[in-house]
Amino acid sequence: MLAKFVVRRFLASIVVVLGVTLITLLLMDRTRGTYVPGIDLNPALRPEDIARLRTNLGLDQPFYMWYVTWIWNVAHGDFGRSMIDGSPVTSHILDRLPNTLELTGTAIVVGILLSIPLGVIGALRRGSKADHALTVVSVAGFAVPQFWMGLLLILIFSVTFQHYGLPWLPSSGATSPLNGGDLWDRIVHLIMPATVLAFFYLSVWSRFTRSSMLEVLSQDYIRTARAKGMSERRVVYLHGLRNALIPLITLVGLELPGLVSGGLVVEVVFGWPGIGRLAFERALQYDYSTVMGVTFFATLLVVAGNLLADVLYAILDPRIRYA
Amino acid sequence: MATTLLEVQDLRTVFATKNGNVKAVDGVSFHLDAGETLGIVGESGCGKSVTAMSVIGLQRPGRIVGGRVLFMGRDLTKASETEMREIRGQEIAMIFQDPMTSLNPVFRTGWQVGEPLRLHRGVDGIRALAGAVAMLGKVGISSPAERAKSYPHQFSGGMRQRAMIAMGLTTTPKVLIADEPTTALDVTIQAQILDLLRQVNREFGTATILITHNLGVVAGMCERVMVMYAGKVVESGPTTDVFAHPKHPYTWSLLRSIPRLDAERHEALKPIEGLPPNLIDLPKGCAFHPRCPFKIEKCSRDTPVLNRVGATQLAACWVTQAGTELKGA
Amino acid sequence: MIDPGQAIATDLPAPAFEGDARRPAQSYWNESWERLRANRIGIVCGSLIVVLALIAIAAPLFTQFLTHVEPSQLDLDNTFKPPGGAHLLGTDELGRDTLTRLIYGGRVTLGVAFLTIALSLTLGTGVGLLAGYYGRWIDDLLMRFVDVVLAFPAIFLFILMAILFRPTPITLAAVIASVGWGGVARLVRGEVLSVKERDFILATRSIGARDVRLIVRHLLPNVLPVLIVAATLGVGQIILIEAALDFLGLGIQPPTASWGNMLTNSQSYFFHSTWLVYFPGITIFVTVLAANLFGNAVRDAFDPRLK
Repeated sequence: MLAKFVVRRFLASIVVVLGVTLITLLLMDRTRGTYVPGIDLNPALRPEDIARLRTNLGLDQPFYMWYVTWIWNVAHGDFGRSMIDGSPVTSHILDRLPNTLELTGTAIVVGILLSIPLGVIGALRRGSKADHALTVVSVAGFAVPQFWMGLLLILIFSVTFQHYGLPWLPSSGATSPLNGGDLWDRIVHLIMPATVLAFFYLSVWSRFTRSSMLEVLSQDYIRTARAKGMSERRVVYLHGLRNALIPLITLVGLELPGLVSGGLVVEVVFGWPGIGRLAFERALQYDYSTVMGVTFFATLLVVAGNLLADVLYAILDPRIRYA
Repeated sequence: MATTLLEVQDLRTVFATKNGNVKAVDGVSFHLDAGETLGIVGESGCGKSVTAMSVIGLQRPGRIVGGRVLFMGRDLTKASETEMREIRGQEIAMIFQDPMTSLNPVFRTGWQVGEPLRLHRGVDGIRALAGAVAMLGKVGISSPAERAKSYPHQFSGGMRQRAMIAMGLTTTPKVLIADEPTTALDVTIQAQILDLLRQVNREFGTATILITHNLGVVAGMCERVMVMYAGKVVESGPTTDVFAHPKHPYTWSLLRSIPRLDAERHEALKPIEGLPPNLIDLPKGCAFHPRCPFKIEKCSRDTPVLNRVGATQLAACWVTQAGTELKGA
Repeated sequence: MIDPGQAIATDLPAPAFEGDARRPAQSYWNESWERLRANRIGIVCGSLIVVLALIAIAAPLFTQFLTHVEPSQLDLDNTFKPPGGAHLLGTDELGRDTLTRLIYGGRVTLGVAFLTIALSLTLGTGVGLLAGYYGRWIDDLLMRFVDVVLAFPAIFLFILMAILFRPTPITLAAVIASVGWGGVARLVRGEVLSVKERDFILATRSIGARDVRLIVRHLLPNVLPVLIVAATLGVGQIILIEAALDFLGLGIQPPTASWGNMLTNSQSYFFHSTWLVYFPGITIFVTVLAANLFGNAVRDAFDPRLK
């Protein structure tokens, strides 16, 4: 039963991937018709050279041939070449992917670790000043533009602190170019961008944990636990929290497919050398093929992530396999 | 000579709402002797569950505003939370109506059933599990060792309730309070659970308070019965006497409203006229008088007090205290 | 023979409850409106949004009577003036008045946001209604297509489309809507599926109503509440997305002012003209906050699932 489910979902994913490739290449098709590689470097190219270069890059093939070639390449891990300098997109991706994962991964972990206690406090002290304060922060956090928050943090902790002689945080990059590389250096660079990202997860997840906790605490089995004579602490943290965390894990799981793309704006503001920033930089140079390749890669990850999540839930909850 | 384990004197529990104070328990007094079974009967909202919760101190968000709860001589209303926790689950155990939602879905059944042992007897996990398995077997669950490893949702309704009963008994409490233990179960399973409770009462000598709105359940199980209405006790006494000649119009109406197999065909059912009272704004005098077929003038002026009527029964009714017999079609 | 009149006349006892006053039954819309009006925070935020929209629409009036400058008017003698005096909120690197640019920027940002919602809702509802109502292969096909659209990480798609098409306010709205409609389609389809099973649909079909009539006059009104909730909750997010794209330089281009692109050069403002960083950001924040709170109030009042 489980195997049938997995196969069905996998086939559905393949269909989605093919659809994605189709849309991707249809969009790309607009650009390859007129593009002349190397034209900015050497304006004196002869028409024959141009024709030869275009053939080399496969730019003059009919659409379906190009489509098939492209899929073939991707299946072999080749996501194309840059239109600017011919460098393979795959190597850029491999270069930058760990940085993005470092950033978004840290943000998610911090987000979870802070959301749980804040949510629990909000639920246990419902209606109190602390609860209201947390609600206000959550609601505000959801309305602040990420890029602006990043700018403000830089303004305060990099520029102003430095101005007043306080220890300040670096405002760009993952490591310092001079003494770069050690763990402390990486952490110091990571603090501000990860904070911005984590703040948004926090706003949503802490409220969610709070309402999940409130719902759990009104359940009958909590009454039973109290009737057994255990301390309120044990009731809340052992019997209650275990149940309240399940929906939260589900919610966090929904974020995982977007792990690669979620940090783009933050990466740009903080000059973080990740995949998002790569796409952005290349976009400014109109390097369509690199942007395409990166987009396609990110989309593949989303589809794979969704498939993985579906399979995991089917394992955990047998009822889903028959849907 | 029966020892009185629990004596509740003039208990009052109140819930504050934005429309006023709800007097959920309004001067309730009763006692429970060792080994006996007492039934508490009444319709939904009459205060029977709140009374039980108040006994073990779980009446929150309500507040106990008067009266005493004497358990083996100690007044529980004055006990600290730590002291109450010693008593809950160990001396006085309580089981609830819906076993599906009353058991924690993420923990194994054996672990939950053994928890009172770990909490109160300081027993380690392995021995607690062994104790749980033994108790599961005693309440009639087959292959208890296997079953202990399952989760509550893997049990049937009747088995879950048996597990709940087992959970209440692991520490051999002196009192077991069962709040509507069979209401959420099929009729055939109800009979089995009631048998089990009877057996438990016999074998372990646990005094049992059985809360229900079903008169049939009381008839089969309880030696004494107490009828509640609008937060007060309106009648109490030995079950056979109360059912044979009720001394309060409410009890009388309840008994009369039960459909009978031997009734005449086309005979209309006899429901109790009117609706239950608003606990924030009770009628003046006797709370039942607006619906009472026997009422006299005094009933709408003065609140009746629980007094002896007949040899063995107590009733809070001016009419019967004046000597009138309750009869009618 | 029993007289039917006699048999039917049974007297039920009147309720003894004092509190049982008879309330007139209200329609869903009236009831929801009343609930919304009772929500003070919602009303305040809703009014704020309306005021902002009115300011945006009446922008030329403001420049004529309040600030006396145009948004793109340069004044190279007065660059980086701090707030105060003739320029209530200061000037930027080209001497352009911040307040004027904020007012005109509101036009762009709010305009794009509303256009995006309109496009997104129209396309999403259309697809959702068709998929939900007709089912089977139409449903499969359309939903598979929605899956594909939703698989793209939005921000990458935005970047790609920004370099493929020239970013005017209309194309920008189309680009943002091209990702948003998918969620709306799924939502609408879900509602249609649950409404479709109800008896009144069967009844209407049995009297010979044609499909179009059924969809438009009967299904659509039942789907509207969910749409209203989704739209008002989504406005805030769309404004944030639009501002981010402008900030990155992939949206509305200068010299046309928008709240996002007023922050594009922020890094160079850090050392001497921080008001240029604060004001646009605060404006975005307040607007989105008001939109979110209003959206919450609308959801509390209109969402049929919360009843």
